[in-house]
Amino acid sequence: MNNMDVTTLSITEALAKLKAGEITSVELVRAFKKNIDERNENLNVYLEVFTDIEEQATLADKRRAAGEDLPLLGIPLAIKDNILIEGKHTSAASKILENYTATYDATVIKKLKDAGAVFLGRVNMDEFAMGGSTENSGFGPTKNPLDETRVPGGSSGGSAAAVAGYMAQAALGSDTGGSIREPASFCGLVGLKPTYGAVSRSGLMALGSSLDQIGPLTHTVEDAELLFNIIRGKDPLDSTTIASDTYPKKNPTKKIGVPKHLLVEGVEPDVLAAFNDSLKKFEAVGYELVDITLPSASLALAIYYIIMPAEASSNLSRFDGVRYGLSKKGESLFEDYAATKGDGFGEEVRRRVLLGTYVLSAGYYDAYYGKALAARAQLTAEFSEALKNLDAIAVPTAPVPATKLGEKSDPLSMYLMDVFTVTANLTGHPAISIPMGTVEREGKNLPVGLQLTAAHGDEATLFTLGKALQ
Amino acid sequence: MISKDDIKGLAELARLKLKDGEDESLLKDISNILGYVGQVQSFSADAAMAGVPAVHNVLREDVPRASEDTMAHKEELIKQQFPKREGEYNVVRKIIQKDE
Repeated sequence: MNNMDVTTLSITEALAKLKAGEITSVELVRAFKKNIDERNENLNVYLEVFTDIEEQATLADKRRAAGEDLPLLGIPLAIKDNILIEGKHTSAASKILENYTATYDATVIKKLKDAGAVFLGRVNMDEFAMGGSTENSGFGPTKNPLDETRVPGGSSGGSAAAVAGYMAQAALGSDTGGSIREPASFCGLVGLKPTYGAVSRSGLMALGSSLDQIGPLTHTVEDAELLFNIIRGKDPLDSTTIASDTYPKKNPTKKIGVPKHLLVEGVEPDVLAAFNDSLKKFEAVGYELVDITLPSASLALAIYYIIMPAEASSNLSRFDGVRYGLSKKGESLFEDYAATKGDGFGEEVRRRVLLGTYVLSAGYYDAYYGKALAARAQLTAEFSEALKNLDAIAVPTAPVPATKLGEKSDPLSMYLMDVFTVTANLTGHPAISIPMGTVEREGKNLPVGLQLTAAHGDEATLFTLGKALQ
Repeated sequence: MISKDDIKGLAELARLKLKDGEDESLLKDISNILGYVGQVQSFSADAAMAGVPAVHNVLREDVPRASEDTMAHKEELIKQQFPKREGEYNVVRKIIQKDE
């Protein structure tokens, strides 16, 4: 292959060329490696490029030559650093796990291996997925490949930057409060947060166990659909996984709900204009727009920043230096733990652990955690009810395009960026971010994303709508 | 609403050693965050409404397996993760200590 940059191909395009014998997996891997060599030092996307990528690609080519035709055979992917690949370092971008080697494959990795994928390496993220900019990584921030003065979003910022910077054909991320969709919006990609339970969390380092889902970041809706269908499915290793018939099938209504009351303030005017333009495109292809009201949605961010730190503080208590990871010695057992966590966890992680400890403590549990659980149930009921008569609910993925590195230094202002994304994690509904054009900042055109939320188990509708917009 | 002593108490509960002066910045940040998330207290319903998960009472089939099916071949990899080893053992600190 001359004259063509194979790194800009979608998965489906690359697969067609692999099948036709026009390119090989080794050629693909080398082309991505070339881009990584040129850009990674500056962008800080990959924490590690695996040493065996040529071998993986050679094996894929041999299997194809022998007549095998697997759904991802020879396709090079980037994997977020909180998803375990047996025998490889996995750190969740935390110093506390800097030298940790995964002892088993995450279920999604097993599925991707069975599908013939090639793993290029592990990519940067906010430490333990806590953040929306990838600036909270224990190994330095990642820059947005579209504008190096800006963040790629987060926490799956490395995954988004790898795809947007043509350093992988697609990537896996994880989404606890928008960590796939927000970086997808900032980097001009498609990002899917599946229905809670659609994809197994076995082998994903837990942040908020009732919120976390693994999902794809891709150039096209077709690629997101392809990857989702490979990684989804019931898994005995994750008792919250759902079967394909857990939720009833829905008939299309050709209606899209727009909660205008949530867009009155906070969204930058040109982002709102791009949003309205994308809604017109749906109208042009026969969808009806319906103004809807979701009374509890304005509480979503407050609910989220109680439940997530509560779950995180419980989940992260396992990093005590006893069985793996960083282990510091103090004067006593208590001091061992305190020194290990104190040295190993970054600033944002320490903040959320303390916040979670507070909202779960005896005197405050009812006022915070108990209230948040009740409000979460109400919010879920409101969304489920609204979605009975709608194909999807549309909002901008984020109120702004990619922000400057260092711009959001106050934690609360960073949290406010998640205002539209946290809802789908709280309610368990599937949500997708799809590019809806660009807005200009300092002479640069920056992408912004449209978020669509569908009924539980109804990713198919998100793909249908996404393809209509593309 | 929350004091510096509270921050120190939380750090102790969380077994987390803070950096010098960090209690001040944490006090400011956590006060701000609690001020914001405190909105949920305006919600008037009780936790009895909390939702039931889509799948519950999930049990796997009780199928006997040979030991080599499980973690057997991963033993060495798991042992390598131990912070301190002595032969076949993971060295941990004595749990029972003298009160002082």
